Amino acid sequence: MEGLATALGNFVEEAQGLSAQFDPQVVFYIGPWGVTQYIVWLFIALAVTFAVVLVAAKKVSLVPTNKFVNTVEFGYDFVNSSIAEDVIGEGFKKHVPFLATIFFFILVCNILGLVPGFKTSTGAISCTWALAVISFVYFNFYGMKTFGFFQYFKNLCPSGVPGPMKPVIWFLELFSMVIRVLTLAVRLYGNMLAGHMMLAIFSIATTCFIQTALFSGSMDLIAGLPSIAWFALLVVMYALECLVAFIQAFVFAILSASYVSTAVHAH
Amino acid sequence: MEITLALAALKVVGYGLAAIGPGIGIGIATYGLCTAAARQPEMKGTLMGYFFIGAAMSEALALLGLVLFFIG
Repeated sequence: MEGLATALGNFVEEAQGLSAQFDPQVVFYIGPWGVTQYIVWLFIALAVTFAVVLVAAKKVSLVPTNKFVNTVEFGYDFVNSSIAEDVIGEGFKKHVPFLATIFFFILVCNILGLVPGFKTSTGAISCTWALAVISFVYFNFYGMKTFGFFQYFKNLCPSGVPGPMKPVIWFLELFSMVIRVLTLAVRLYGNMLAGHMMLAIFSIATTCFIQTALFSGSMDLIAGLPSIAWFALLVVMYALECLVAFIQAFVFAILSASYVSTAVHAH
Repeated sequence: MEITLALAALKVVGYGLAAIGPGIGIGIATYGLCTAAARQPEMKGTLMGYFFIGAAMSEALALLGLVLFFIG
């Protein structure tokens, strides 16, 4: 039992310093700008996305025989039909390239982060903030292009609202429109950071308990038993994270699509 | 020291409180999606879009709580 208590103490001590490991740290400087490790992974994800898409685009043929090309084409078709066509509806063709770019980039970022030792750039608020601002500017731009500046802001209030309620509803709609940039950014960031922190906690627990069991002097094997449970949890959570990596990319793309849809179709 | 500790604890409690409503909301939205898709499976694609919009709206409240946790 003593071994168990020591292991638990070690675990709590190790877990305290965990959140500091997820803080952005400056790796090197380009002129006056510090480059954090998340930005390095951002550019790696960018390179991987470019490589995957360009290689697939070069080998594309009418009858696909290459498995890799087929996979990428399936991804594009998924964005085309499940995200753009179902949500935007009429005139969706114009927005497919934007949505596909967002979807593939976030997906590659998230999946890169699942490889042990790698970091996901979507786990840093600066990156997700930038992505959310891009999406925000995009749907506002298309809304204004379709209706004109003043008509677009007038459209925020749905038609059929009784007269005196109009300013109240309009203000609420404006607030919920502005807050979209915040929710898009924080949703992706929170999900990726929390997921990776959970994986880190389970792996720390696994190593702490097994280390105490083997190396604390008095071979206390009972203290090592919880490691098995921790490791099983780690595997289950890793599987869940693989799902979350896809779902978050999908959610970001589908929400961008629905914001574009509400902007370009008056309601 | 004690005040900082109490503030940190209150932030966690506040986020927990903020997450109750959205949790119930997303649960109801998922329930609605499941029953609707069971009745009319061909509508599933369209309903998914509505589901994500609704879930995102109710989730926004929990995300505001999370932001207050970081900046508060």
